[in-house]
Amino acid sequence: MAFEQIVFYAFSAVLVFSAGVVITVRNPVHAALFLVLCFFSTAGLWLLLRAEFLAIALVLVYVGAVMVLFLFVVMMLDINIAVVRQGFARYLAVGGVVAILLIAVMAMVVGGDYFGLERTPVPEPIGEVSNTRLLGLQLYTDYVYPFEIASVILLVAIIAAIALTLRRRPDSRYQEPGRQVEVRRGDRVRLVSMKSEERR
Amino acid sequence: MVALSDYLTVGAILFGLSMAGIFVNRKNVIILLMCIELMLLAVNINFIAFSYYLSDTAGQIFVFFILTVAAAEAAIGLAILVVLFRNRGTINVDELGTLKG
Amino acid sequence: MNFETPDFLPVVPELFVLGMACLILVVDLFLSDRSRVVTYLMSQATLVGALVVTLGLSSPIAQVTMNGTFVLDPMATLLKSVVYIASFVAFLYAKDYLRARSLFKGEFFLLGLFAVLGMMVLISAHSMLTVYLGLELMSLSLYAMVALQRNSATASEAAMKYFILGAMASAMLLYGMSMLYGATGTLDLGELGARVQGAGPSSLVLVFGLVFLIVGIAFKLGAVPFHMWVPDVYHGAPTAVTLFVSSAPKLAAFAMLMRLLVDGLPGLHGHWQDMLILLAVLSVALGNVLAIAQANIKRLLAYSGISHVGFLLMGVLAGTPEGYAAGMYYAIAYVIMTLGGFGMVILMSRAGFEADRLEDYKGLNERSPWFALMMLILMFSMAGVPPFLGFWAKLAVLEAVVSIDLIWVAVVAVVFSVIGAFYYLRVVKYMYFDKPEDEHSLVAGSDLRFLLSANGLAVLGLGIFPGSLLALCASAIG
Repeated sequence: MAFEQIVFYAFSAVLVFSAGVVITVRNPVHAALFLVLCFFSTAGLWLLLRAEFLAIALVLVYVGAVMVLFLFVVMMLDINIAVVRQGFARYLAVGGVVAILLIAVMAMVVGGDYFGLERTPVPEPIGEVSNTRLLGLQLYTDYVYPFEIASVILLVAIIAAIALTLRRRPDSRYQEPGRQVEVRRGDRVRLVSMKSEERR
Repeated sequence: MVALSDYLTVGAILFGLSMAGIFVNRKNVIILLMCIELMLLAVNINFIAFSYYLSDTAGQIFVFFILTVAAAEAAIGLAILVVLFRNRGTINVDELGTLKG
Repeated sequence: MNFETPDFLPVVPELFVLGMACLILVVDLFLSDRSRVVTYLMSQATLVGALVVTLGLSSPIAQVTMNGTFVLDPMATLLKSVVYIASFVAFLYAKDYLRARSLFKGEFFLLGLFAVLGMMVLISAHSMLTVYLGLELMSLSLYAMVALQRNSATASEAAMKYFILGAMASAMLLYGMSMLYGATGTLDLGELGARVQGAGPSSLVLVFGLVFLIVGIAFKLGAVPFHMWVPDVYHGAPTAVTLFVSSAPKLAAFAMLMRLLVDGLPGLHGHWQDMLILLAVLSVALGNVLAIAQANIKRLLAYSGISHVGFLLMGVLAGTPEGYAAGMYYAIAYVIMTLGGFGMVILMSRAGFEADRLEDYKGLNERSPWFALMMLILMFSMAGVPPFLGFWAKLAVLEAVVSIDLIWVAVVAVVFSVIGAFYYLRVVKYMYFDKPEDEHSLVAGSDLRFLLSANGLAVLGLGIFPGSLLALCASAIG
């Protein structure tokens, strides 16, 4: 077995295992952490496929931002796990059957018959071309229209998230940095001249 | 050598697992959101594998956009989840009984 | 690397809407709640301006630009124009409703405009990438709009359901797209169509991708068996949002169907025709039967919408230019009728009272004979009674189905629309033959009354003179 194959099977095994844990584990925090493991092993697979930029982006954006957001929300909302988990065993059987059927059908189609090595051989290495440079060149020229739409989608996400969750509570206290900076000694400290008391 | 079909099979298994996850965790919204992330991950593996074996960068470009959109989607999904939790004090779908399909 | 600057002229409507939306975003920041009406007026002006620009740029030949990701053809021009008009009407109906519930905020109109932008991108998509991005821009805005009433538990619950099922549908759609990309090596829809014709051995992969694609589209259209979200979202969302969600996005979903299946996969017509027949028959049957049991008018209109989607699919599945034109005619007719239907719900409601139970329509004739007549026209049109608009739309799609010898599909559709006529007539019975339970007079503003009357009369007028709109659709398909 070539080194590449060992790496492939190792990453794939970790990926499938941790995906299985994500959908069955009891605690949402654990699920989120195993999802992080999924992303790491996927990034490994993508490196094998010479998609270096996207592999790094996956780790930075997903592990670094999206999953942190997930963990924030899980911990902010005090979820009652016992209630949420009721009826889990009953669904597990159904889910198992669904998974096995679906995977069997899908594997039949995407398996060796159509996408085996004889039909789609491994391409020749294209030499010293940076993957990031390649993507960047296309992204800002040929794909400039989708790129702009993607930026609008992010803008919508910002507007929606703020519109839905920002609330001003009258009882919460704010700092006003402007006033803090402007404060003078005279506003806070008052010198009072007092006679010293007699010693007893 | 690792064949294209091997990568696609990994993608198919991942997609199937996340589909089953949606069935199994239909009561727990936060795991449902994670299952959707897994589905998109499976799609991304497909695109990148095709992109490499077809020697065509369009697939990688598509993945770039899926990653961007999925991040925005996660943000909106979690925002809706927070609003729901504030109204209901629960994210258990079964207790959300006012709307009967 | 040589790169030619693309032709930006066909994209001007999109740029205009985007620019105005950003301007409104900034202006809205400096407005007090009392002067919020400025945001509303600017949004309406944006839609009118976009209509003018789009019509000004219309040309009879298809122009592909932006490296093959964008197309401007007569179909895009017509669908975009109807989207602007439908959104304009929806915003106007929504204004008083939102104000009465302290939802009259800039976010509603901004997210609405961004949703319109998403629909425009989707309608003009010429690549799987732009189909996906347009769809997501539209859907993400709509999810947020449904949840915008933050203190309402039903609204946030509806938004959550909508979000989960919608995101799942997008993932299915993407899986299908990845298979099509893998089998053909292109994202461009025109190129895809050409390569699918030539594909021999890998056609199983194409059909496999097509199945996922159809599931994704069916979810977005709300066709049975992927309709679960429709009644809940229509019921749970504030009526002003339901009105918007049920109207213009249907046109965009129709455009998605046309772009992916007709532009992208004409070579697989035999396969997708079978799948669409299944979806269409199930939608017409189940939508009409389940609507009978509803006591809530928003749910009733939701199930009726599901059955209308079935009819719309019948036009497309025929696979002939007449069929596509009939499907488009049906989509436009449905949008006009649903705007009127939910507009009536908004007219009847007031602060603290939603008017969404069927009982609330009892004796409407005594309270307001004119609007009872309008509702009568809308209900008869949805049921498909001649001479209203809905009748001609149904006739056009049935003709298309019969012309390809699928007579049994047409028979099923007719039988179930006769069954469906029952629940529309029940509403009419409530209005004309029952005593009113609620003696409040209607509180709607004059602009809403005027536009709603125009909306009802349009259903009547387009029914008496059905030729012009149908001819417009036929010329748009070319």
